Amino acid sequence: MDSNADRYRRSHELFARAAQVIPCGIYGHASPAAALPGALPYYADRAEGCRYWDVDGNEYIDFLCGYGPVILGHQHPAVEEAAARQLSKALCVNHPGPVMVELAEYLVSLVDFSAWAVFGKNGSDMTTWSVQVAREHTQRRKILKVAGAYHGIDPWCTPGHAGLLDEDRAHVHDFNWNDLESFDRLLARYRGDIAGVIMTPFHHPAFKPSQMPAPGFWPHIEAACRREGIVLILDDIRAGFRLDLRGSHACFGFEPDLICFCKAIANGHALSAALGRKELRVAASRVFLTGSYWNSPPAMAAALACLQIQKQQEVVSTLRRTGEMLMHGLLQAGAKHGYAMLASGPPAVPFLCFIDDPSSRRQQVFCAEVARRGAFFHPHHNWFLSAAHTPEDIVATLGMADDAFAVMRNEGL
Amino acid sequence: MTPISARPDPAVLSRLYLSAVLPCLTDLAEQDGTVVDDLGQLRASIVFSILGGPAATIRLQRGQILWEDGCSRNASVILMFLGDHHLNAFFSGNKWAAPLPVWGCWRVGLLARFSKLAERLEAVLDGAQQVLDSAAGRRLHARLSLITAGLALHALAQGDAAAQNILRSLPPGLASFTIAGEPRATVWFDHGSADNQVGWGDPPRRPDVCIVFADIATAYAALRGEIDTLAAVGCGQIRVEGLVPLAEGLNFAMERVRAYLKH
Repeated sequence: MDSNADRYRRSHELFARAAQVIPCGIYGHASPAAALPGALPYYADRAEGCRYWDVDGNEYIDFLCGYGPVILGHQHPAVEEAAARQLSKALCVNHPGPVMVELAEYLVSLVDFSAWAVFGKNGSDMTTWSVQVAREHTQRRKILKVAGAYHGIDPWCTPGHAGLLDEDRAHVHDFNWNDLESFDRLLARYRGDIAGVIMTPFHHPAFKPSQMPAPGFWPHIEAACRREGIVLILDDIRAGFRLDLRGSHACFGFEPDLICFCKAIANGHALSAALGRKELRVAASRVFLTGSYWNSPPAMAAALACLQIQKQQEVVSTLRRTGEMLMHGLLQAGAKHGYAMLASGPPAVPFLCFIDDPSSRRQQVFCAEVARRGAFFHPHHNWFLSAAHTPEDIVATLGMADDAFAVMRNEGL
Repeated sequence: MTPISARPDPAVLSRLYLSAVLPCLTDLAEQDGTVVDDLGQLRASIVFSILGGPAATIRLQRGQILWEDGCSRNASVILMFLGDHHLNAFFSGNKWAAPLPVWGCWRVGLLARFSKLAERLEAVLDGAQQVLDSAAGRRLHARLSLITAGLALHALAQGDAAAQNILRSLPPGLASFTIAGEPRATVWFDHGSADNQVGWGDPPRRPDVCIVFADIATAYAALRGEIDTLAAVGCGQIRVEGLVPLAEGLNFAMERVRAYLKH
């Protein structure tokens, strides 16, 4: 830890100051308590392409991409240019800009089932609003979701325990991923009162391997929703645009009624969106939606540029290839040193963990050792690829991973 | 059931008194010289029993105090309570809640000495001002608060709806809580084990997550809810090593102890 103290000295100094004036020092998903306190940087200074530098000057190949938003690489010139051009005209004014219309039209043209789009700033803005739309449309109360799935920080879905009332979740019920019996039980118990089912396209809980949908899982859910008049909401906040530019449902052969996007929509600029079927248009118009900065044009200009580049450059294919190279290489490197590992999730949004590591200690040491060598993997949260990661970056990362495995093996971990 | 919505359950509270508070007498006797002096060479045992319910036995053995689960044979005194409310009222100091002395009621001297002992325990656990005024008192308060909170996890897991709701969302595993530099200052909880085992002292196997308070001052502040524990983790004052979500969730579950014992 002493060498870490030197390596992250500036981070720790800043955190000590932060702890005096900011609850948790750093709160939420970026809290050091959720990762590896003392063994990973706390503060970043700058970023470019697939790399970032912490406040102590340490450089990392970035496999977290700001927890997902950065899909084209940090500071992508064309996206930044589009945002800057819009910024030079207006940042926050009394009315939306024309770009809002252009972006909505573009999104509706991308996502085949959709007829309309709305915008917010964060994922929670859209998931919570979508739940309200489902209730308004159906005039029912119940929402079904997968246990352990993350849909944001609002009381109905936050993974936290504090500040909640029973009433907040009185009409939210959990079933288990890939467990149709548990889904059908809820369906039977609350038949006629279920407004919506909200799910991510694949299950990506923190601290655990990701799980892909079993054959028949999505078709069963989709058919049940159609039959029962339930609104199917796809929370594509995390995976959206990385698996398929048309929305992740296109990968898994089903169609939701509402879809929520955020992270990869604007390459790091604050924007989220929800798109829906025309049948939900009236309900969508009734559920109040607004925020102080939600009409701000620069993020929308960034999103339009970002999405157009993704389409032109076939980013989905690039991410898949790069992700496959990374995960294949990591599995091989681990096996070379005697470690059995599990690669989970789609290659563009992968996660790697050690088999027989229930306490996550090996995972944590591995991520800390790799970070010391110059690549950033989160030990407890799925990773993200960007279009800026080149095969050379992956080769360099695999070299760091090989060294990290060797150190672990030498230390008997 | 969320912590704000959940009201304390009398059955859980009585079990907290019997299996999380009374065991603290052992540490009190080990750490507090005045208690040892008061006990002298006394050898006796007192049973606290709820009619048709759980019981615990306290053994006073020449300056040592031992806690046992259940009703011991050959006890010097057996104190019977008609129900959870009765025992809870007794432990919270209500004068009307005297137990039924089914055996040993003539041992007035013993009961008087135990009463004095219980008053001292209450003052330490409650954090009475005269206790917290000294470094030794704060140390004792932190140690006993940790032991109580750790051992309480068993009763909370068995019966408290809010704690159960939190525990359901946590991965199974063994968690240990330790104050660094302090002897015998580790409690552990095996979440997901049969009967939700807890213990004070060395855990039965390597914990899946270790929570270590850097010193007494940190433990004192954390256990009293007076510091931002997530900031303390980032600053290295609290070290969490291993299965992070288990530690975070147990922290919330353990806070239920305060909701119970303040009543």
